Amino acid sequence: MSFRLFAIGLTASFGLAWLSVVVVPFFKLRTPSPISFQEGFDEQEGIYHPKRAGRVANGAAVYAENGCYQCHTQVIRPTYAGMDLARPDVGGLSPAVNPDGIDSRRESNVFDYSGLDFAMIGTTRTGPDLMNLVPRLKARVRQQAKDDGEEISEGVVAGRVRDYLFQHLYNPRSFARLENWSSCPSMPFLFEEREIKGQPSDDALDVTVEAGHEVVPGDRAEALVSYLLSLEHDDPVPATMDYAPAAPADDSQG
Amino acid sequence: MSTPSDNAFDVQLRSEIDRSLRHPVMFFFTSGAAWLAVAILLGIISSAKVHAPGFLDSCPWMTYGRVSAAHQTALVYGWGCQAAFGMIIWLMSRLSRQTCRNVGTILMAGHVWNFALSLGVIGILAGGGTGMPWMEMPSFAWIPLLLAYVAITIWSMVQFKVRPEGHTYISQWYLMAALIWFPWFFGSAHLLVHGFSGSPLGAAGVNAWFHSAMLLLFFAPVGIGMAYYLVPKVMGRPVYNYALSLIGFWSLAIIVPWAGMQKLTGAPVPNFLPYLGAFAAILFAVPAAVAGINLLKTAAADMETVNHSPTLRFTVWGLVFLLAFGFASLVLNSPGITQVTQFTIAGYGFDILGVYGFFSFIAFGAIYFIVPRITRREWLSRRLIKWHFFVSIYAVMAIVVVTLFGALMQGIAQEGTYDGLWYNAASTVFPYAVLTTIAWCFLLISNFFFFIHLTLMWLRLGRRSSHPTLLVHHEPESPHGPEGDIDNTGTASAH
Repeated sequence: MSFRLFAIGLTASFGLAWLSVVVVPFFKLRTPSPISFQEGFDEQEGIYHPKRAGRVANGAAVYAENGCYQCHTQVIRPTYAGMDLARPDVGGLSPAVNPDGIDSRRESNVFDYSGLDFAMIGTTRTGPDLMNLVPRLKARVRQQAKDDGEEISEGVVAGRVRDYLFQHLYNPRSFARLENWSSCPSMPFLFEEREIKGQPSDDALDVTVEAGHEVVPGDRAEALVSYLLSLEHDDPVPATMDYAPAAPADDSQG
Repeated sequence: MSTPSDNAFDVQLRSEIDRSLRHPVMFFFTSGAAWLAVAILLGIISSAKVHAPGFLDSCPWMTYGRVSAAHQTALVYGWGCQAAFGMIIWLMSRLSRQTCRNVGTILMAGHVWNFALSLGVIGILAGGGTGMPWMEMPSFAWIPLLLAYVAITIWSMVQFKVRPEGHTYISQWYLMAALIWFPWFFGSAHLLVHGFSGSPLGAAGVNAWFHSAMLLLFFAPVGIGMAYYLVPKVMGRPVYNYALSLIGFWSLAIIVPWAGMQKLTGAPVPNFLPYLGAFAAILFAVPAAVAGINLLKTAAADMETVNHSPTLRFTVWGLVFLLAFGFASLVLNSPGITQVTQFTIAGYGFDILGVYGFFSFIAFGAIYFIVPRITRREWLSRRLIKWHFFVSIYAVMAIVVVTLFGALMQGIAQEGTYDGLWYNAASTVFPYAVLTTIAWCFLLISNFFFFIHLTLMWLRLGRRSSHPTLLVHHEPESPHGPEGDIDNTGTASAH
């Protein structure tokens, strides 16, 4: 075989694959076409607008820099690819953990990653999936309040979730629940320890430090928590892209 | 057969080629070995952190996510790529029968590669990582790395182009393919993810494809190409079946560029991408098995030679790991297994099997073959080589078996616990992490033997002897050719 033939064969076999699985899908996925809710199938109408909140872009950069993706994934797989939707609080909330609400579990869709430059799908689940971190934490806060016989508003729930995230970043093993087994790295370097001047800060963490000092989140901790608070991907989507819709809780819609 | 004067000319040409390449090849091998030590140290730290999160806890540079990324970057770009460069430039010169005329440029480009890589690894540890597996170096690093790559390897393409008319060796095909593929996938993948924003899932797909291409379109062809040279050469026998080697090459070239996106199984990307990726990754078992079996059949003809030659011991085990690598690719990407192992330590185990098991063993074999020829000194100590071999083989096997079996347990725990207790899944992995840490510590010891030995050789402190260092006490007839000739004038058929 001549070199020319060799080069042509090599270029063709590689180039075809390169174009069809790399280049074309990359640009196609840049502009997903909007999807509408359909009357009769969905409970609402109009175009599906994914929820967005927080300083997503620079928070995601902090997430990437510190290698959170090494242990946490961000994808809810459909039933053919894994059992993610069978767990009560990963793909959304099942009635088991959210007795008053609907079953919000659903698989990930292309709009869940909009606003990012890189979808941190992740490689390993040494830690839990984070796609629905916020609904999971909110359910836990509500459950805790209920157990304590406490009435709390949604605002208080959100505030407690935020405090929990800061505390977890500072030292995951400071929670009794995780103390003995969590291998999540603590990241005290995202926080600053400073002298209390006047009133202690509202954001100060509940940790023991030198008297007259407090620990408050630094800029990067703020950005990261803001990003983590955007990890809430359980809003209802059009049935046309919910390939494995949960069974309806009751028949009253029919 | 060749006449004596032809032979004398050949010997002179070969020793001129070897002499011309001494500094660049030794530069890549020794700096590669130094990076391997760095990678292993970082591997110990990152693995220890999985079971002892308090270890080096307060230092931001040593946080798990950064160390783990730096570990893989150092292993792949520091050791793997540089060992590959050394093998490519030496083997292409030898097979194309050309001396190297661009030593200065290659050495300078080698320094650029090391400099950019050092900044990249420091950048990851300092908190500038990009968050894309195997593309974690900050975005400034990829252009100098690509340019350095071109300046190092372009001469090998030129040598191939101007080689004397005649037979083209199968090794040259594999090397040429790697030389063409690497800049293509490395450049285009980095350009897409760093140059075009706003395609998060597309970028994740490109990254997954790049990861697979690095393993299967760069390390695989360089490793297989080198083995196709070493085994017949040291055995002094022709390859078992020449037609098989062609089938192996073209099946690799046609199948493997489609692999990679199976990492995105279940993510919201067009369904054909993960399916095609898994299909191609499963079919990678074909070129792996064809090359592995073809060369192992060649080696099996004379097991005594294999046992006595350091080169063959490493290379043959590298080929056994190649078979395991192909088989693991088949199993891990099969339907039903993917969903269990997709998000477990299996991915890491598979990478280590490819980079440290298959590729590095062949690279070690090549280094034990090439270094005495270019330094004109023999290896100092058969004991150091033996220790390097035995510690490496047991430690790498331990890492591979532990991570793949641990991944299965981890995956079953993840998929099987619906009660909401993540504890059950997370804690499964701890004992395997402990074993992995211990295995990395043994690899550090083995690499210590190797690095010392290699450095002494570069300082030309090797034995001034023309007897090759064999792994036996009494030296039988040399497998490197006629007794006393390390230049390997003839093969078994010639004497």
